[in-house]
Amino acid sequence: MRRGLMGWNAEELPVAALEARLARLRAAMAKTGMDAFIIYTNNTRPSAVTHVTGFTPYWSDALMLVPKSGAPVFATALSKRVSEWIRTTDPLSEIVNTPKPGALMGERLAKDPSVKRVGVMEYDTLPAGLFDDMAAAAPSVEWTDGTALFAGLRREVDDAERGLLTRADVMAVAALGQALTGGAQDAGTLAGLVEQHARLAGAEETYIAVAPDLAADRRLNRTSQPTPLADRFVVRASIAYKGCWVRRTRTFVKDGSAAKADAWFADVVRSIEAGKSLAEQIAAKVGELSGASLTGWTAESCTGSCPLSAVASARFPGKEPPANGQFLVLTVELTIDGAPWIGAAPLIVGRPDF
Amino acid sequence: MIADERRNRLTEAMKDAGLDVLLVYGNAWQGDYLRYASDFGILEGQALAIVRSDGHVTLYVDSALEADRAALDCPGIETVLAPDLVGEVDLALNRMSNQSVGAAPQRLLPRRIAARTAEFKITDQTGFVDRLLMNKLDSEITAIRNSAKLADAGYKVFMQAARVGRADYELVAEAEAFFRANGVDDNFQIIGVGGVEVKGMAPPSGKTLKRGDMVTTELTPCVDGYYAQICRTLVVGEPTLEQRGAHALWRESMEAGIATVRDGVTAADIAKAENDVFRKYGLGKYTTSEFTRVRGHGMGLFADTKPHILEDVTTRIDAGMALIVHPNTYHPAVGYMVLGDGVAVTKDGCEVLTGTARELFSVAG
Repeated sequence: MRRGLMGWNAEELPVAALEARLARLRAAMAKTGMDAFIIYTNNTRPSAVTHVTGFTPYWSDALMLVPKSGAPVFATALSKRVSEWIRTTDPLSEIVNTPKPGALMGERLAKDPSVKRVGVMEYDTLPAGLFDDMAAAAPSVEWTDGTALFAGLRREVDDAERGLLTRADVMAVAALGQALTGGAQDAGTLAGLVEQHARLAGAEETYIAVAPDLAADRRLNRTSQPTPLADRFVVRASIAYKGCWVRRTRTFVKDGSAAKADAWFADVVRSIEAGKSLAEQIAAKVGELSGASLTGWTAESCTGSCPLSAVASARFPGKEPPANGQFLVLTVELTIDGAPWIGAAPLIVGRPDF
Repeated sequence: MIADERRNRLTEAMKDAGLDVLLVYGNAWQGDYLRYASDFGILEGQALAIVRSDGHVTLYVDSALEADRAALDCPGIETVLAPDLVGEVDLALNRMSNQSVGAAPQRLLPRRIAARTAEFKITDQTGFVDRLLMNKLDSEITAIRNSAKLADAGYKVFMQAARVGRADYELVAEAEAFFRANGVDDNFQIIGVGGVEVKGMAPPSGKTLKRGDMVTTELTPCVDGYYAQICRTLVVGEPTLEQRGAHALWRESMEAGIATVRDGVTAADIAKAENDVFRKYGLGKYTTSEFTRVRGHGMGLFADTKPHILEDVTTRIDAGMALIVHPNTYHPAVGYMVLGDGVAVTKDGCEVLTGTARELFSVAG
């Protein structure tokens, strides 16, 4: 649930950037014969609506309709009082309060005789209640899955998104630095310190996970318990700033021996190139690190409504190589000099300065 | 173990209802149905769980990070990493023909799964699970009691953080840090800062506290999956006479609501008791949906669970339910004000779970 700083700032996310995103969506719709586009949002699947309008819900769910022209329509079951707040974070949409967002969207679509074929983001996973209401109100509409269309638009981040991601990453790096201050001897206290640091810096949301004894178990979990931190532990900070999420994972070793892998990984994230297989690029880099073997890797991105989801991994390598300008969070797991190590960092392909 | 008790109760109820299989959906917003069945507190992505009447639970998650978490938190169930969540569950359903299958919450099921409800004769069992969620086991009430204690402690931290010049999100940050270090995995919190212009609460927007501001919040910490809420208002500096007067009305209303709570009344009875106080003082219009959402709600595995306390909700209140009674609304002279205590319903009345004084607090201005 979102409980950190939420707000829209025209300098960080200019209306012109949002209009350009809408224009790209409409161009793709026209190319594929879609007369309108429907996007679902809730506070755990907010990212597609955030991308198009700047708005992220802190609670409840809603639907957005992008017509061929004119303002997007945002229909929510949240109260009219909450609309005033929504308006402060969404400068573009017509906001409609209704107990039945699905029915309202269906009625809008049915009212426009030019609407025949409508794309739906993540059509398979759209909540059934909303879809049933929408389909009942617009029985003549042909529904089609718009997931791939939208993901195609998200292959390259724009300047505004890059700025927000950079800010989120600065927060994540600084928050993880709390593990170096010696202020926490247990996982719960450390999670509190990391979260506090990120939220005081203006994070919209933070998920902190810890593997308190990496040598015993590499799996990370959220924690609020006083589990002692071993000599080798890992902290993951997933941080959102104004709807843009990054993840950073860092291995901490009391004797400082993680430095070699840390430096190697910083070089890896700067070096990822477009058009080449990620698996091959990572394997080649691991080959350059003495004493290391690759245990696993994952690349995440934001392609639809989920803030971050896997687009490729050691298990599911993916069909497409990374594209220039694509945002990724790369996680790599190694065994180095006989000990486990995990790192994750965000990158923009072709932008080593990110 | 509370999770085992819950699962036993669920499977017994399934047998009584003639259900072979229950399909439940969850995400970090609406996670209570999933948590009840699987004990998994999902954070990212989406999940579906298939519960069989013999107690076997298969949890399908679409995120590898969540699969790791589920394996750590829920070792007694089968966890499946399913990047294609709907496809994987679709296949599992194919193996369940000729069985009696229910689903909850039906409205949130993925469309592609729901499209097969006729083929598999999947019945909407949302109400069936809702009854289990509302009418709690003793161990569940104990968990909520623990959460309520942390809500009290968290509010103290929140108050100590409130001072002139601090931003609203900084107050939330201090409360969250306290919660993370003290056994609270999750917290729902919204806030309001200002005066007569403030019509409700929302996430922090960066507003800086100044002398005279009212600061409203509802804190809803979650321990072992169970949320308990507290609503309080503080003033930066000394409260005005109008603010004190408004708070006295809110307190009278909340206490009227709490005095009504007992086994056998309805949610509407509690709401009416609260709203009658506003009507008595000529402020009845501020009990309507134009100014307020609900006059309280259930507490449990969801921060805003059923029953909603409203004059048109006729749900019977039973011993074993946990509620918050909160007459939160707008006052035309001072702005949005909140006050709410959590209670556990008993045969003869209720146990008040909130320990924080029912005061309009004041912090140095």
